[in-house]
Amino acid sequence: MILFLQSLLSGVLMGGVYALVGIGLTLVFGVMRIVNFAHGELVMLGMYLAWFLFTRLGWDPYLSLVVVAPALFLWGALLQAAVVGRALHALPENQMLLTIGLGLAMSNAAMLAFTADYRILTTSYSSSGLQVLGLSVSEPMLAAFLVAVGVTAGLYLFLLRTDTGRAIRATAQDREAAQLMGIDVRRMSLVAFGLGAALAGTAGALVSPTYYIYPQVGGAFTLKAFVIVVLGGMGSVVGATLGGLLVGVTESLAAVYVASDLKELVVYSLFLLVLVARPSGLLGKARA
Amino acid sequence: MPQRLRGLVLAAGLLLPPPGLAVEKVKLGFVNSMTGPEAPIGENLTHGADLAVEDLRREGIEVELSRQDDGGKQQNAMSAVEELATGEGVAAIVGPYTSASANAVVSLAQQYQVPLLIPAAAKEELTRPGKPYVFRLNAPAHVYAEALLDAVLAVGKPRTIAFIYESTDFGTSVSAAGKELAARRGLRVVADEAYQQGAPDYRSTLTRIKALRPDLVFMVSYVADAILLMRQSRELRLEPQAFLGGGAGFDTAQFQGEHDISELVFSVTQWTPDTGWPGAAEFAARYAARFGKKPTYHAACAYEAVRIAAQAAARVGGDPRKTRDALAAGSFSGVLGAVRFESFDGFMNQNRHAMPVIQYQDGRAQTVSPPEFARRKPVYPFPGWK
Repeated sequence: MILFLQSLLSGVLMGGVYALVGIGLTLVFGVMRIVNFAHGELVMLGMYLAWFLFTRLGWDPYLSLVVVAPALFLWGALLQAAVVGRALHALPENQMLLTIGLGLAMSNAAMLAFTADYRILTTSYSSSGLQVLGLSVSEPMLAAFLVAVGVTAGLYLFLLRTDTGRAIRATAQDREAAQLMGIDVRRMSLVAFGLGAALAGTAGALVSPTYYIYPQVGGAFTLKAFVIVVLGGMGSVVGATLGGLLVGVTESLAAVYVASDLKELVVYSLFLLVLVARPSGLLGKARA
Repeated sequence: MPQRLRGLVLAAGLLLPPPGLAVEKVKLGFVNSMTGPEAPIGENLTHGADLAVEDLRREGIEVELSRQDDGGKQQNAMSAVEELATGEGVAAIVGPYTSASANAVVSLAQQYQVPLLIPAAAKEELTRPGKPYVFRLNAPAHVYAEALLDAVLAVGKPRTIAFIYESTDFGTSVSAAGKELAARRGLRVVADEAYQQGAPDYRSTLTRIKALRPDLVFMVSYVADAILLMRQSRELRLEPQAFLGGGAGFDTAQFQGEHDISELVFSVTQWTPDTGWPGAAEFAARYAARFGKKPTYHAACAYEAVRIAAQAAARVGGDPRKTRDALAAGSFSGVLGAVRFESFDGFMNQNRHAMPVIQYQDGRAQTVSPPEFARRKPVYPFPGWK
């Protein structure tokens, strides 16, 4: 029982971070209908920025979020304005190639700047675990989870209560109708991409004390983000949250009850099953 | 003689080496993981090779070392070896570092008939019979397992053991040897967990291992995973009687520096400064003074491998085939002790090398086994995380 609860707990904590990555991707897709294959590289950039601030200025990775999130927001908005925005009316295949190319450019730039060496952050709490009711709660993962919950809650409030948030949701529902209503859809795209990038970067900074950082780490995150987004329903923020938690828990339980080196296999098998049973995802709307 | 001609003759005379010191020129190849995930270890190999080149120059052997980086990838190692063997005409190649890269290039070296001297790769199969051009300086995987298990069996009576290792050539080879030996020594293997490199959340795997309450936890990893595995073991309060690290990542300055998690971890190693091998202590002191950190065994292995390859090549004038013969027949001695490449127990051109075992005590690596090398007694069992 303890074993089950412990691995469930680890899965939920990690799932919170995965959810953050997934929400960023689903936001971009929802508003612009562009599949961003460079999403994982944005996570990677967040990690490197957190590492850089930690090693050069001694900033704790969680505190450095105040710099990482806005920096990634600006970077995302810049990418949207300069590159991705110009492909809004291109063929979907070309849009995909564009974002793949962006991803490659970012990971190779990181390799040039930082070399391919693995980087590890060592903070005072990097290996600390709280003992609660016979379970070990990883301190860095708990902190990451709490911040992720906070950020997600903040995002919900933003989307539900503010004018800009509502405008974004309107653009996601029907771009042309939103335009007719007087919403500046180009500006909404900028904000959405920037937000997506900021969320990805935040997730990267949150896991930086417990992961190792290298230029190609983004690939695995992009893949996970896709599974999460499709699982939860493309364009659905709630769906992405659920999807993230589901993927985290599945991975963790699979490592314990199946085999460690097959945990990814179980996640992707689950993904395929959901797609077969419900192609639009768990909370997605069936769309032509 | 006309003035100009006299000048030319004098100048030509200055270019000749001073009488009594004949300079042998030798060209060697060096394949290493200078970038990529194994770069922290690769750095040791590079520095070791640099020191060897300096020392050889003082002894009258001028080594032109052609360095190639495989970035930890097998394809790059293969193209590096092809380039060195065909394009550059080297007498011998030292390297690569990882078992995966070495495995990929042994047949190439054999095919091109250029001797390959492996400094630190563990995979057993690398020096099996049938490849007379392949030599290995370090001890192979089964010795890693033997040295570690014998070290703890001498001070305790553990009954169960769990293995966690990365699913690369290195990890699988050392853990396979470990599992086989554990069975022979009467230990029950309660867990056998392979993980993929690059997926650094091991909490669920470690939770599963913790539930089985093993007396020993045997890990085989490179640097980044070694650190993360131990961090997560501490988080989860995994407390066996001993943590056994299979060399590589567990025997580096970076791991030693993580005081919260490295304390009382055992690691098997190919070399420590206090073994009493000729020049070992001086090598460590010189390396630390020059590069600001203590050398890992990889540095000593690369140093000795370059020296041996150069000496063999210099003896025979730099021809690859004759160099191979010189390596096979020769006797060498240096910071890794006495070196001879022999055939025994299903190996060919393998050096019989004894592996010391270290334990991190008070933040420093101490040699604790076998008795002829030990400076301190091992601390056993592990008292638990603070």
